[in-house]
Amino acid sequence: MRVVVAEDQALLREGLVLVLERDGFEVVGTAADGPDLVRKARAHKPDVVVADIRMPPTQTDEGLRAALEIRATHPRIAILLLSQHVQRRLAQELLEGAGESGGTGYLLKQRIVDGESFCSDVRRICRGASVLDPEVVATMLGRARRDDPIERLTPRRREVLALMAEGWTNAAIARRLTLTEKAVLKHVAHVYEQLGLTTHPDEHRRVRAVIRYLGR
Amino acid sequence: MRIDRPLRERGRAARPRLAAPARTVELAAAELAGAGALLGAVEIALWAGLAPDPWWAVLLWPLTAAIYLAAGLAAWLRRPYNRIGPLMIAAGFVLLAAGLPAEEPAIEAIALVVATVPYALVVHLLHAFPSGRLRGRLSTRTVAAGYAVCLVLQAPQYLFGPETALQLADRPGLAEAALRLQWTAGSVVMAVTAVILARRVAAADRSVRRALGGLYLYGILAVLLVPVSSQVARVWADEPGVWLGAAQLAVVAGVAVAVLAAMLRGGFARSARIEELGVLLADDTSARDLRDALADALGDPTVELLFWAPERGVHLDAAGRPAALPDGRPERAVVDVVHRDRKVGAIVHDRALAGDEGLVRAAARVVALAVDNERLTADLRASREALRASRARLVAAADDERRRIARDLHDGLQARLLLLAVHANGMRTDRGAPTPTRAEAMRLEQGLEEAIAELRELVQGVVPAALTERGLAAAVEDLLDRVPIPSRLDAAGVARAGLPGAAESTAYFVVSEAVANAVKHAGARELTVGLEHADGWLRVEVRDDGAGGARLGDGAGLRSMVDRVEALGGEVAIGSGPAGGTRIAARIPAVARRGVDVLAADPRPAGR
Repeated sequence: MRVVVAEDQALLREGLVLVLERDGFEVVGTAADGPDLVRKARAHKPDVVVADIRMPPTQTDEGLRAALEIRATHPRIAILLLSQHVQRRLAQELLEGAGESGGTGYLLKQRIVDGESFCSDVRRICRGASVLDPEVVATMLGRARRDDPIERLTPRRREVLALMAEGWTNAAIARRLTLTEKAVLKHVAHVYEQLGLTTHPDEHRRVRAVIRYLGR
Repeated sequence: MRIDRPLRERGRAARPRLAAPARTVELAAAELAGAGALLGAVEIALWAGLAPDPWWAVLLWPLTAAIYLAAGLAAWLRRPYNRIGPLMIAAGFVLLAAGLPAEEPAIEAIALVVATVPYALVVHLLHAFPSGRLRGRLSTRTVAAGYAVCLVLQAPQYLFGPETALQLADRPGLAEAALRLQWTAGSVVMAVTAVILARRVAAADRSVRRALGGLYLYGILAVLLVPVSSQVARVWADEPGVWLGAAQLAVVAGVAVAVLAAMLRGGFARSARIEELGVLLADDTSARDLRDALADALGDPTVELLFWAPERGVHLDAAGRPAALPDGRPERAVVDVVHRDRKVGAIVHDRALAGDEGLVRAAARVVALAVDNERLTADLRASREALRASRARLVAAADDERRRIARDLHDGLQARLLLLAVHANGMRTDRGAPTPTRAEAMRLEQGLEEAIAELRELVQGVVPAALTERGLAAAVEDLLDRVPIPSRLDAAGVARAGLPGAAESTAYFVVSEAVANAVKHAGARELTVGLEHADGWLRVEVRDDGAGGARLGDGAGLRSMVDRVEALGGEVAIGSGPAGGTRIAARIPAVARRGVDVLAADPRPAGR
């Protein structure tokens, strides 16, 4: 799969390229700032763009803005944003802007250390999944709210909800929790019922419904 | 006039002690008015005995004289130190004298001698108004020539003219020649006067023109009409008689009416007495009050009061800005204000409006102490402002430094650790590597990941990533997401753009301290946070429903929060919410896009 990598720190860019290539990705271009990323993505039309959020020239959320620009003209290019700190609001905006387009991911930068699972996340994103960092999901679930229906969920169902929000399929959730897929299906149905959501047939898209709910 | 009433009210308590000169003037004015009325009545009675035709000719001279007397007394009461009043009163009595009937030789003699002197007085009045002094050599000479024409050239007419009480010899030719010479010379005086008045109108600035323009224009008309009318009348009628006399007296009376009008339009504002100025200064005064009081005392609305800054060698205005003296503007005069042999300020006034220079000097002596106080206050204010600006710069610099440290840690150390961890992970997952090496690599990877997590927390504590990346509203929202109690955030209208960095991070600091206080100490169950950016202020409000009772001095957190906000020129209020709990509200100046430089210039938002 073809990737464009955007990261202004040369060391980290090197590390990212190393991790991705070790796992069989083809890095077709690297960029060091927002405008450069937009140019390279439009030129190479890769399967996925992996970008740091904070980049020159503004050193604010340049990566996010570049990603949204790319999405506007090339909605099929999947996007993975990396950050040193994950924010619920940004995750929500990112997924809401995704629409029916390519996969979307939002991960902590340090996830690249575990190359194997990082690359598997990138592949899921390329297949159209929405992948959120466990820390964002934990923040969303842990957010203190009045009359929070999530508090009424059993611990097991909360685990299932968290994995759903991270973008895992029922099969993957079953593997991770060592349950049967049928049992997972039952838990998922319960979670939907408890939260007053309608079940979504497309497992890749259902994460958006969950995030929209959690982000309220 | 405008400030007249409050001045009187404030001065009332001290009035009996101060009113002596005012009383003297009022008494003298009343006596003069009585004398004028008496003389007028006598004159009317004398004329009535002669049964003139038409009958109203009786009233011509007394009426004109009465107008001058009234205007002169009004002017005198307004400005006891000004010569305009006495000049007009004198003109009134001369008019009474000139109008005496030729019944008794002695009375007739008086009338003959002063017959044309009213014209000279009118010319004098026009030249001297409103200061009472003649300005410039040409003006002085013209007025002197006017008196000469009316007194000296008048003499041959009654000495050699026909059938007068003072006749020496009957020489009609001589009298006629003198009359022609008097008319010619008088016309020249009038024409020069018209030119001088026209030049004054042209040179006057707007406020002066508004007040005095009407008088000057009427004066030009009057001094041209008087000589021309007598010639016109001569051509049209053999006997100019009573109609010409009436017309000329009306023109002369008109000058007094125009003077009264100019007074009402502010050209001759009532000058508060110097003593009243002193009473006003005994109350609290600001620089502006002081200037207004001076304007009132001098009757010059254009007065400027400047403060002398000796170490800088410049004059400052009331707002502390350097002000230039009006060099090269002849209509503006400067009087230094001196206190204990030191110059402390200057009064800049309009030569014409402020009138007597002596009055300005007296006023300068009265206000000297107040000016000196005001100058010291201004100095203090300026140094306090400098201190505040320097504190704001320190906060902004510290803020910049924190951001730089956070960026260096993130970009340098963290990137390096991440790369090392990536390599350790590569070793661990390398199937070709011996098992002990892979076990070692795993420990290394774990240690590095812990170091990365710690470093990330450290950087987050120095400057929150959300603040740098997404601005204040997003950072506060992120903060509240991680707080263990429910919260509500209202941050509508706090946009990223337009917020100075120092204001933004100080506001974040306020919220995080207030939230920490609510969660840790107050046992709150719910939080409400409001952010607002309007009118150049960034307002922050954090309310909780906890135990309340938070005070300054409760821990270093709140104290340093207040210090930071105040250093930027803002303020913090810590108190109870309407329904109990604690309410911490702060407002921080936020006018500039980028903190430091503009803060140093003027951190106070407009309209405060």
